[in-house]
Amino acid sequence: MKIMVAVKQVAALDEDFEIGEDGRDVSEDFLIRDLNEWDDFSLEEAVKIKEASAQAVEVIAVTVAPESADEALRKCLAKGADRALRVWDESAQGSDSIAIARILAAVAKAESVDLVFAGVQSSDHSFASTGIATGALLGWPHAAVVSALDYSPGSKSAVFRRELEGGLLHEVEIQCPAVLTIQLGINTPRYASLRSIKQAAAKPIEVKTLSDLSLGKGDVGASGSHSRVRRMYIPDKSRAELIEGDPAQQAQRLAQIIREFKGDAA
Amino acid sequence: MSRTDAVTRILFEAFPTVEVRLFYVLGYTAIAVFLYGVYVQIRKYRRGAALKLEGSIYSRLLDMTVKVLDQRTVARRDAAAGGAHRLIFYGFVLLFLGTATITLQYDILEPLFGIRFWHGEFYLIFSLVLDIAGIAMLAGLLYMMYRRGWLKPPKLDYARPDRAAGDADFERPQYRREDWAFLWTLVVIGATGYLLEAARLVWLEARPDVWDTRWWSPVGALIAEGLQRLGLDAHGGGVLRLSLWWFHGILALVFIALIPFTKVKHIFTAAASLMVRDPLAAQRLPRVPENQAAPGVAKITDFNWKQLLNLDACTKCGRCHEACPARAVGAPLSPRDVILSLREFANASLQSGKLPEAAELDVHGKSSGQVAQETLWSCRTCMACVEICPVAVEHVPIIVQMRRKLVEDGAMDPILTKTLQTIHKTGNSFGESKRKRGAWSKSLPFKIKDARKEPVEVLWFVGDYASFDPRNQKVTQTFATLLHEAGVDFGILYDGESNAGNDVRRVGEEGLYEVLAGANIAALEGASFKTIVTTDPHSYNTIRNEYPDFGGKYEIQHYTSFLKQLFAAGKLKVEQPVKRRATFHDPCHLGRFNKGYEAPRELLKLLGCELVEMGRCRDNSFCCGAGGGRIWIPDPVGTEKPAQNRIREAAAIPGLEVYVVSCPKDLTMFEDALKTTGNEGKFVVKELIELIREAVPAPRAEAALA
Amino acid sequence: MSGVLVIAEQRRGELRPVSLELIGAAESLRRDGDSVAVALLAPSPGTLIEPLKLAGVDEIVAVKVAASEFDPDTFESAVSALIAERKPDVVLVAHSVDSFGFAAALAAKLGLGFATDVFKVERQDGELVATRGGYGQKVNVEVDFPGRTTVLLALRGNVFKPPEQRGSPLVTEFSAPPVSSRSTGREFVELAATDDVDMTAAEFILTIGRGIGEEAKVAQFKELADAIGATLGCSRPIADAGWLPKSRQVGQSGKTASACKLYIAMGVSGAIQHLAGMKHVATIVAVNSDAEASIFGVAKYGIVGDIFEISEELRRCF
Repeated sequence: MKIMVAVKQVAALDEDFEIGEDGRDVSEDFLIRDLNEWDDFSLEEAVKIKEASAQAVEVIAVTVAPESADEALRKCLAKGADRALRVWDESAQGSDSIAIARILAAVAKAESVDLVFAGVQSSDHSFASTGIATGALLGWPHAAVVSALDYSPGSKSAVFRRELEGGLLHEVEIQCPAVLTIQLGINTPRYASLRSIKQAAAKPIEVKTLSDLSLGKGDVGASGSHSRVRRMYIPDKSRAELIEGDPAQQAQRLAQIIREFKGDAA
Repeated sequence: MSRTDAVTRILFEAFPTVEVRLFYVLGYTAIAVFLYGVYVQIRKYRRGAALKLEGSIYSRLLDMTVKVLDQRTVARRDAAAGGAHRLIFYGFVLLFLGTATITLQYDILEPLFGIRFWHGEFYLIFSLVLDIAGIAMLAGLLYMMYRRGWLKPPKLDYARPDRAAGDADFERPQYRREDWAFLWTLVVIGATGYLLEAARLVWLEARPDVWDTRWWSPVGALIAEGLQRLGLDAHGGGVLRLSLWWFHGILALVFIALIPFTKVKHIFTAAASLMVRDPLAAQRLPRVPENQAAPGVAKITDFNWKQLLNLDACTKCGRCHEACPARAVGAPLSPRDVILSLREFANASLQSGKLPEAAELDVHGKSSGQVAQETLWSCRTCMACVEICPVAVEHVPIIVQMRRKLVEDGAMDPILTKTLQTIHKTGNSFGESKRKRGAWSKSLPFKIKDARKEPVEVLWFVGDYASFDPRNQKVTQTFATLLHEAGVDFGILYDGESNAGNDVRRVGEEGLYEVLAGANIAALEGASFKTIVTTDPHSYNTIRNEYPDFGGKYEIQHYTSFLKQLFAAGKLKVEQPVKRRATFHDPCHLGRFNKGYEAPRELLKLLGCELVEMGRCRDNSFCCGAGGGRIWIPDPVGTEKPAQNRIREAAAIPGLEVYVVSCPKDLTMFEDALKTTGNEGKFVVKELIELIREAVPAPRAEAALA
Repeated sequence: MSGVLVIAEQRRGELRPVSLELIGAAESLRRDGDSVAVALLAPSPGTLIEPLKLAGVDEIVAVKVAASEFDPDTFESAVSALIAERKPDVVLVAHSVDSFGFAAALAAKLGLGFATDVFKVERQDGELVATRGGYGQKVNVEVDFPGRTTVLLALRGNVFKPPEQRGSPLVTEFSAPPVSSRSTGREFVELAATDDVDMTAAEFILTIGRGIGEEAKVAQFKELADAIGATLGCSRPIADAGWLPKSRQVGQSGKTASACKLYIAMGVSGAIQHLAGMKHVATIVAVNSDAEASIFGVAKYGIVGDIFEISEELRRCF
């Protein structure tokens, strides 16, 4: 069986970043890219299922991104993915979660996968949508925020727990094939030593185009998206009143605040 | 020919031929068993991985011979044991040479060429020397028995921190048995030798050339007098002589035959180990060979033959056990027990005809002979063990190579895993953006040259802690100011610098080390400078000793040598001597690793400090505990940290005012330990650079800055 | 298309308060002639209806569904039918675990305009403009939905204010089309609290975060909390690592510091999930060595410094 793990190379902001000229995104120079934290967990969950299974399981890491994301895919290969697949076309630039999901669903169909994992959200833009949108576009059962999973390859269903607000868990049984978005803490992601990453560099990354997936320009990018970025700006930060001085002075001021509060409470 | 000229000992005198033949048969059998034992040992070593030794075999041989002859390594940190062992060693060697000399004449020269020399004056002096040798050996042995049985020094305690009561290999009674058996056997051989000598004298009392010259064997003669007083006559002497002869002879042959199977083999393995040692063992770790399938040591056969030899060279002297900072604070690591466990494993698995299955050769784990993860992760790679080992066992590379396997498997503390990922991502262990590496310099009133862009005379490799840790940044700024005031043409690499990789390598992440070293070497190659200076001993060690293996060979100094030169050249002058009572903590990577003991002390003297040494100083300096990646691994709750142990040692110095360090990690660890041991207010922890700043006040215009 | 449709959330027989916040937001989006309807999906609406009778609600639609708890297929089918019948131009859901499970699916299937974790929404020149965060909440992003007749927005919790006045909306019923759901909800599992602490009742909380570095350091802050009379809490990484029980975790998947009036956060960076549990507190003091930490954005007082030093000094004051 095949498990597809949708991954994303997210961008974090460097010091002193600047919004680009078009006012709609941060300049590339200030972006530090790395594999999305949630994807470490979803990939690990897939590899765990593979390792525990008697039957052959193939784990495919898939991303929709330009060549710079190959580094993130190599990390996935180092961590146990069997294959890495990247889809890109210039027209996919500016795709929102749903447009990306359209591409991911096409890959899932093309590869005839049996299970799709995605992270609950990405640490950069936190849409928390791509995985579930993929499920809808595939017409598959889907569930979000999975914090514990019990699944044996070949089984017609899986039992999982979703992590609700306040730490409550809800146990659910879902029919398979399915799309599940995986939450942090579901497992302990393995360490990929630099040597294994280097060795993974020798493995090929399959690159697909939109036409390989029978998608057109209208399915992706701005035309395929369900929202449009008008403007990006740095908000005025409300700042805390900073307590200055050496640690002893700062602590004394804080002690004063505490005493005042207790005076009120008392 | 005068009577004395004829005097000699007739071998096998009055023996029936069949007994002589029997002795030769036993002798050859003993030698055959001995040779077989040697074969089994050598076969064991050859089952390890290959290794090519560096340097000429002749200089190695010479070095080993000198060390073995003067026994200097055994005398370190234990003069009494050194003295006693010298007595045993010289005694034994002389006795051995004596027997060899007799054999030379009796079995080779005389029968083949008719040459005889063992008679007359030569024989008499020979007898005297050997009698003295025997006394020396017995004296040494008796002292050793006293040491083991009565003095009981802690380092001879075989209690081990890496196993609990109930584990199969927790108690090792066979060690004690073997130790005492060895001592007793030699003592008995020696004692019976004298008794035999005395018995022969009594037996031959009627022969003037023997009896009249008996005092050339003073011990034997004394005992002979005693035996006669007890009523022994010539006939009785003869009987005693014969029985003692056989007893002594068989015991000696059994002893020889069993050499390769017992502790006695250290005679050969220690010498061999000294001969094949790597003088830079812990300072320069070995690369992962290109063709190796998986990095690090997983099976006993992944160790190379030298390491397997090391395992056999160990004599359980306990010096490494005593020196280890992890062991001292109760961590489950004793370098001695790592070596002994592996030795037991090697003996159990590699000494039979057939090699066991690969699965049975795994050295990681908690079974008998295996080494546990907690043990390997406890190591601070301070090399106290390697440095003090009298037989050149190289514990640190063994531990690091086993760690490489753990890293590959991801078997690490989660915080360590995170740190390695952070270092890979940002080039530093703090997770700060690369661009911020030079941020500490922004508050200075002068601009530090960018060595990536313009040539400089001195390239200052700053290091992670010195760049990012707030407390250390102050020291870094002070150093920059001192260099500026001294008119030194210096620059830094700013964001071109990454973590030097010393500790990453010692954690066992060799792949990440190669990335870091590669990046730094590329940056250094792109810059133009004459020499490198660093304030970080860890960076100093790896750039000096390990970067050449990766194509980066540079002249590098630690700041203590560099500042010493500046003072000598008059570029810095002491104007306000720091008259404080100070003690100096030798940083592992500067002191023990690179023998940099003197420059900091000379600086302290120059500054006017009253230097009082701690007991564990210089080569015996006690590690702060941060090395080997331990600064990134949390200590178990409620245990003593090495830094606390060390601060307590310093606190015992009456009137101590300053505890001086010259390493960023030391500064961090000891300032913390000062507080947590409750010694805050009693004395302060200062970086040497800060003391220099006190003694060399800033020129008036920039006084506000200091 | 006109009108605002709010999808309320209920769990274990109780209405989730975020539903009321959605109503507040809906009110601000109402145009002349628009109606605001609140849909409640449950087998029988029962007592869930009452709290929804707020000023500004024109209609409460009790949608009869078979599933008593959230189920993606049920929600997608029912809400889809609601949209088809009522044709609202805005549909509001909470940015919550339940909506993670269905909102994007609905938007994808029906071609709705879509944005999540929206904390500000308004009409500019008649067009709907939603504002959300970007790059780890370090920037704000304004999005719009050209060409989309209906827009689905998932709104961030604890941002929009529920209406204060009560109202008397019409209560109607809606029969959702039958659906054979592909997942079945089983039981709810509470994590056993290993100590008796109730973070939701504590008035004074001292929370520690990733900044403490290692488990051995927890003890010092426990002592400090005891000394100053605060309840010790933690952020997610500390609970995930097992250094403190999960019952002490404050945040989105932990507890909300509902009764707290004074909150001291030491070594907490201020990730959005943690803020969700405490940013409402009247007085927040943040201590962190990183001057850029997000926590300073919600704190009233801030100390940029070493948390261990401050902790020791503070201990001395008590």
